[in-house]
Amino acid sequence: MPSIPIIEVKNLYKIYKVGDTKVHALDGVDFSIYKGEFCAIVGPSGSGKSTLLNMLAGLEKPSKGEIVIDKIHIEHMTENQLVEFRRKRVGFIFQSYNLLKTLNAVENVALPLSFRGVPKKKRNAVAAEYLKLVGLEKQMKHMANAMSGGQQQRVGIARALAVNPRIIFADEPTGNLDSRTTMEILKLMRRIVREQQQTLVMVTHDNHLASYADRLFHIVDGKIFKIEEMHHADDDLEETENEKESKNSNNPDNGGGADSDSPSPDHADSYGAAV
Amino acid sequence: MRFLDLLGMSINNLRRRKLRTALTVLGVIIGTASVVVMVSLGIGLNGLMMEMYSSYGSMTSIDIYSGGGRYYASSSSGSSGSEEEQYITDDTIEQFKRLEHVKTASPILQTDIILKQGLYEAGVNIEGVSREYLEDIPLGQGALPDPGSDELKFIYGNGIIRWFSNSKTGEGFWEIGEMPPVDYMNKPMFVIFDTSAYYQSRYPGGSDGGNTVKPPKKYMIEAAGVVEGGVDDYNNYTYSVYAEIEALKAQLKRIYRKNPIPGQPTNKKGKPYPYFIYNRAVVFVDDTANVTTVQQMITDMGFQANSQMEWIEQSQQTYDIIQLVLGGIGAVSLFVAAIGIANTMMMSIYERTKEIGVIKVLGCDLRNIRNMFLLESGFIGFLGGVIGVVISYGLGFIMNNFLGIAQAMTGMDGDISRIPVWLSGAAIIFAIFVGMVAGFFPSLRAMHLSPLAAIRNE
Repeated sequence: MPSIPIIEVKNLYKIYKVGDTKVHALDGVDFSIYKGEFCAIVGPSGSGKSTLLNMLAGLEKPSKGEIVIDKIHIEHMTENQLVEFRRKRVGFIFQSYNLLKTLNAVENVALPLSFRGVPKKKRNAVAAEYLKLVGLEKQMKHMANAMSGGQQQRVGIARALAVNPRIIFADEPTGNLDSRTTMEILKLMRRIVREQQQTLVMVTHDNHLASYADRLFHIVDGKIFKIEEMHHADDDLEETENEKESKNSNNPDNGGGADSDSPSPDHADSYGAAV
Repeated sequence: MRFLDLLGMSINNLRRRKLRTALTVLGVIIGTASVVVMVSLGIGLNGLMMEMYSSYGSMTSIDIYSGGGRYYASSSSGSSGSEEEQYITDDTIEQFKRLEHVKTASPILQTDIILKQGLYEAGVNIEGVSREYLEDIPLGQGALPDPGSDELKFIYGNGIIRWFSNSKTGEGFWEIGEMPPVDYMNKPMFVIFDTSAYYQSRYPGGSDGGNTVKPPKKYMIEAAGVVEGGVDDYNNYTYSVYAEIEALKAQLKRIYRKNPIPGQPTNKKGKPYPYFIYNRAVVFVDDTANVTTVQQMITDMGFQANSQMEWIEQSQQTYDIIQLVLGGIGAVSLFVAAIGIANTMMMSIYERTKEIGVIKVLGCDLRNIRNMFLLESGFIGFLGGVIGVVISYGLGFIMNNFLGIAQAMTGMDGDISRIPVWLSGAAIIFAIFVGMVAGFFPSLRAMHLSPLAAIRNE
């Protein structure tokens, strides 16, 4: 278990005013996340989990409390400072991928590097490397909207990784994918987190998906209801996956054709090798 | 973020909405072209005017008359006014030459003479001028007399031939509409200097009673040259005969000896002055910009001074106003184009709300976002500016060569539309500037869009 806290959240509140009534989206949250962890924030819709993620990524300001990421307080930063903070330390994976339609896969992955002023040749090389890592070496020059959802999310993951961030946030990363692709993406993310020693914070409403994480933060009504540590051995993992696969086998909605050739057992193998 | 990456993104975004970009650019094209064409017309009109004035005479010369004018002086000699009279003499010419910015000064000694060739004769005005002045006269035939020679030679204005008439019938060009068969260069020309004696001898009686006067002597004077241009062309030298002043003075002295030379003023006792008094003088200034100053100095010395600059300055003001009005009309359409750019940018930002949010989440600097949109609108301006200038050159070419607008508006040949390089350069820069100004507030809006928009799912 790694012991360096990369995220520390202390007594965090977020209060929205709706008319005259105050809505407590977050109501006093405390927790720490350590380097190299894969954490999931789980809760029903309206529980405040998205608000929490937004605040961790500096997209929203807390009403009260402290957020320390990589030893830096971000709660009082100006918008400019927050942008710089994200540029230097944060990768983001979106539910709806949010690739730029005018750019191809490589350019999309290289985009955050261009914000850092990395020259084109260098950043395209880095982007190509990460695209290989997510298994898209054949789709490098494809435009964003010429790819299937799963492929797009892989590009999204590569984009989040390309800047070599201290921490990666994922907001319902599989929310727009069918269940088969969901599993592939989830396994891919877990493999990469292990391989690259990255820290990943994922928000989801699906308890089952969350169970793939090392730790689960259950949020209900703006408060952490339960923190669950999952000690899955590799065998357990394989089992759960196989379980899932077999469940899906009679599901006719079986993802895009382009995804079917993605070799999921390979992923499992490489994962096993990495650990 | 690197500038080239920024520019690449902006252009990429423009390419993505080709039709809308094209329409917005079209607005800028029309705006730029109308400004450039309008201003070029103003410059063209101004240029035509300047050409017209310079054809009337040098723009850097100042004509100087003695304070009250010579007619006043001669008609009321002996009156109190004549004492204050400022005569133009060799001394004053020297004074003029010493003034700052004056290149040279020439006295002008005018006298009336009669030219005779065969049956044809003409009463004309001869002007004795300095060598420098003569050198300024554009000659169509012949050449200036040798600088060293003392011999009096004439240079004829290109319109002088019209004044000749048949001395028997009294018919000349004005009566019969035919050019008199006068040849300055190849046939001898006889000149009578003492015109009053000539007329008295030809038309005896008259006011002087029965005194018969002996016809004055005729002199044969060689022609040195003829002023450039046909009979119908007009320039500053068309209707005078010119001679070198020293030779003319010597000739006059030989003819009149001790007698007063007609046209020369006399002192209170009715005696002529021992030196020549010139009718006029011309001062040549080094630059048009200094003409007004020099003219003022000469006026302060007590002379009357006229120059083309007075007229030019007046009409320049008129043309400045015309240019302002024309430019204003053009500017209105550029203003409309600016509104078009602002509108396009606004629409584009609404459409790209999510995308802007995404790049904000990914860490794109706020200033980069603003610059991206400024570059986009600036690029629209640049594109419209360049194409607009090219079209302006085309329109100018058509107006200059096919429509004959210059002829219709000013009666002169020449280019009515003139686009100097500075104008096209300024137009393009201005178009870029307009684009950026129009895109400024939309770009601020983009800068302040919430990154949360990117997180929201549709």
